[in-house]
Amino acid sequence: MLLLLEALSATAQQWRYGYDLMKETGLSSGTLYPLLMRMADKGLIEAEWHEPERPGRPARHAYRLMAAGIALARAAESSDAAIPAKAAFA
Amino acid sequence: MTAPVSRAMMTLAMCCLGESRREWALAMRAEFEVAIADGRPFAFAAGCLAAAWREMPSHAEGRLVLVNYALALGLLIPMAVLEFALVLGVPWLIAGGEGFSGVLLAGVAPQNPVLALMQFSAAPSLLALWLLLGIGHLRLAWVLVEGDWARVAKAGALIGATLVTLFLLMAALALDVTFVALQAAAMAIELMALVAVSRQHAQLFPSAAPEMLAR
Repeated sequence: MLLLLEALSATAQQWRYGYDLMKETGLSSGTLYPLLMRMADKGLIEAEWHEPERPGRPARHAYRLMAAGIALARAAESSDAAIPAKAAFA
Repeated sequence: MTAPVSRAMMTLAMCCLGESRREWALAMRAEFEVAIADGRPFAFAAGCLAAAWREMPSHAEGRLVLVNYALALGLLIPMAVLEFALVLGVPWLIAGGEGFSGVLLAGVAPQNPVLALMQFSAAPSLLALWLLLGIGHLRLAWVLVEGDWARVAKAGALIGATLVTLFLLMAALALDVTFVALQAAAMAIELMALVAVSRQHAQLFPSAAPEMLAR
């Protein structure tokens, strides 16, 4: 989930498509979609349908982080940053 | 070859996700078109199917589908196998391995030649009814997995009617009805399981067809 949070938080205001997220994170569709479903259920991401870019193609489902998701991504980032710092002090 | 298989897998994945995840199923379907254009439809569809299967136990509709499969594979198909095995006389499935004649024609009265002649004359009819029971169970398993409750009710009625006819015919011919009575007991268990599942279905889909067993 951290990979996905990272990918979504990199462009927090931008809507992202499932296939693009797969390519960016390296997650398979079998991992990505259950994660997106759980994140949407928990109010971390919002989803909306976008009109197809080319006629004849289906509308695409797009996702972006909500406030709770952005906060979680920041918390994850800060804890990631804290771990090497702690290791350095140890 | 890969494209039709991938499409079939996507269709299956969409069915498995059910109504509660309909939007996500459509989302996967839309991205599948992108995966086709990218030349990776099979991996994408396989992942979606795996995700859909993993999601099934987490929602009521998926659990109901799993129960239907369990009922079909664990009860109805074994019953059909038992019934066909009886006709074929498969020794490791039927006690004694005597097959049809040893079970349905048990109690033939050789001391009464007229009755024995009638009993043996009825053997083809008994065999046909027994085969109909096996076919009925296979049909019931199929329509249950399909979730077609109108046909489940019809298949159940066919099995019930066949069993009653078999019982009455054997009783009229003074044959031993013990095995058929055991079948009736198994049928009662099947019926209770089907009614429980159909009630669950009716709760999930209140607007379903009025032929539901539970109504």
